[in-house]
Amino acid sequence: MSEPAVHVDGLLKVFEVAERDEGLKAATKSLVRRKMREVRAVDGISFEIEPGEIVGFLGPNGAGKTTTLKMLSGLLYVSGGEARVLGHIPSKRERDFLRRISLVMGNRNQLQWDLPALDSFELNRSIYQIPRPDFLALRDELIELLEVGDLVRKPVRQLSLGERMKVEIVGSLLHRPDVLFLDEPTIGLDVTMQKRIREFVGEYRRRHGATVMLTSHYMADVEALCERVVVIHHGRILFDGDLAALADTVAAWKTIAVALENGAGDLSGYGEVIHRDGDLVTLRVPKAETARVTARLLAEQEVVDLNVEDPPIEDVIELVFARESVE
Amino acid sequence: MRAMWGTMRAELVGAGGVVERNVYLTRRYIWWDIAWFIWTVANTLTIVFIAKGVESSGVEFDVNEYMTYLLIGAVVWAYLGILFGFLMETVAWERWEGTIEYTFMAPLSRAMHLAGQGVFAILYGIVRAVFLFGVCTLFFSLSMPDANFVAALVVLAISSISFIGIGIMTSVLPLISPEKGTQLGFIAQGTLLVVSGVYYPVSVLPDWMQFLAKFSPATYALEGIRQAILEGQGVTDMADQIVPLVLIGVVSIPLGLWVFRRGELYAKRHGKLKRSG
Repeated sequence: MSEPAVHVDGLLKVFEVAERDEGLKAATKSLVRRKMREVRAVDGISFEIEPGEIVGFLGPNGAGKTTTLKMLSGLLYVSGGEARVLGHIPSKRERDFLRRISLVMGNRNQLQWDLPALDSFELNRSIYQIPRPDFLALRDELIELLEVGDLVRKPVRQLSLGERMKVEIVGSLLHRPDVLFLDEPTIGLDVTMQKRIREFVGEYRRRHGATVMLTSHYMADVEALCERVVVIHHGRILFDGDLAALADTVAAWKTIAVALENGAGDLSGYGEVIHRDGDLVTLRVPKAETARVTARLLAEQEVVDLNVEDPPIEDVIELVFARESVE
Repeated sequence: MRAMWGTMRAELVGAGGVVERNVYLTRRYIWWDIAWFIWTVANTLTIVFIAKGVESSGVEFDVNEYMTYLLIGAVVWAYLGILFGFLMETVAWERWEGTIEYTFMAPLSRAMHLAGQGVFAILYGIVRAVFLFGVCTLFFSLSMPDANFVAALVVLAISSISFIGIGIMTSVLPLISPEKGTQLGFIAQGTLLVVSGVYYPVSVLPDWMQFLAKFSPATYALEGIRQAILEGQGVTDMADQIVPLVLIGVVSIPLGLWVFRRGELYAKRHGKLKRSG
């Protein structure tokens, strides 16, 4: 059995944060006597990611996602527990480790603002020791995949957010990393660009077998890419498993939207009425009852149209966040 | 042995990449650099004019020699400022650009990363210093019949190692304090300015400041360069300046790297390795 690409065991990150009350008196007092508060940004989490997996790492703002990714890429030292990526301890900054990972942060840039991306790519080639033929081949492949051929000669500051994100992704992948940490890579992008980047990540993983750990607030990213999700909140893992299993556990219902011929009477006998708009009624029913209720509606009502849907993934995730744990 | 050479080669290529990046950025901002150079010339002229001012008061002395004395001080001080500036920017600029996390994740040892910055700073600084010296010399039509410019450049190059070491120590300050760290770097520069005899002989300072001057590489750099230009002394005549410079350099570089490493550890423990805060 191969070693996991990412191994996390009891990972802990504690920050000390200064705090004081408002006002001049408190500000002066804090010069002499500073009150510190402990913040457990990551509170003993454990998980493993196998080589080639794509895992969604979900959580609300402040949950500990970025802190975890930074510990896994060596930018933050752990306060406790163990983290290994490709068998390496990230904080040791071993060259073999650094050459095999990449962290892409949607609200950060690694390319120099005032230089064309091609110049920054050359710097990456030097630093990552990429042989020139390999560098040129992969660079051109990535440029073609992301359709940025006419963008890489412009200073990065002249590019739009979406264009910048695409060239940033090219820069992050030139050394052909085995593990990709993607921290909200589609943040602020339009729908078309988000889709483009999702497709690209999937294609890159298919071609190069990379392991991907993705954080995103856009559930479309998660649904399109992630076989498995790890949900984190208040620094603790709430769920680790299939996305479908998450929905079955937390939101074991379906919605039935039914349009009726002659107005809707009392449909509460079929399920919970969650929306009514003239002849259009939306019912919430337990998953196990969906087929039976659907059959009853079709038999007993004059149905013009009927649509059965799973609960939106956003609603599922919102429910998860509202809980302390998911069993 | 082969593996070690391979690693060293990789590190040198990476350091070369850092130098190359700085070349691109300098080219990008070249007009700002020229504007800053003009300011540096104006500032240097202001200092050299002090000699003229003293002359106009009626005091009799060798004006040409005193003007050259001040010019050397001003040029070396400007050079030191460039070295410190580039090394401080190692962190501050990266933080401003938003690239700091990526730079600190790059598979390049911190020593080579800083070496790349230092090498570019020295090359750029020497070019600017030579231009500055030349322009001001022509402005005042200064006569330097005995000048040994080669020896002066050798002293400047040797002193650069020490300056880089001290610069590396100060470059850790923006890591520890993102908001105030860069400004704190000026403390180191200011201290060197006061005690090193930039515009006056160290002998006019109080005893305790003369003691501090013994530890400043700028003290020996200024003495050596002045001896080379004003008296025509060669490198072999300047053991009293070159030996301390070499010793300070041998100590300051590893010490600087150790201090930077401690700062980096602090930043990674406390989450300060990011754009702000």
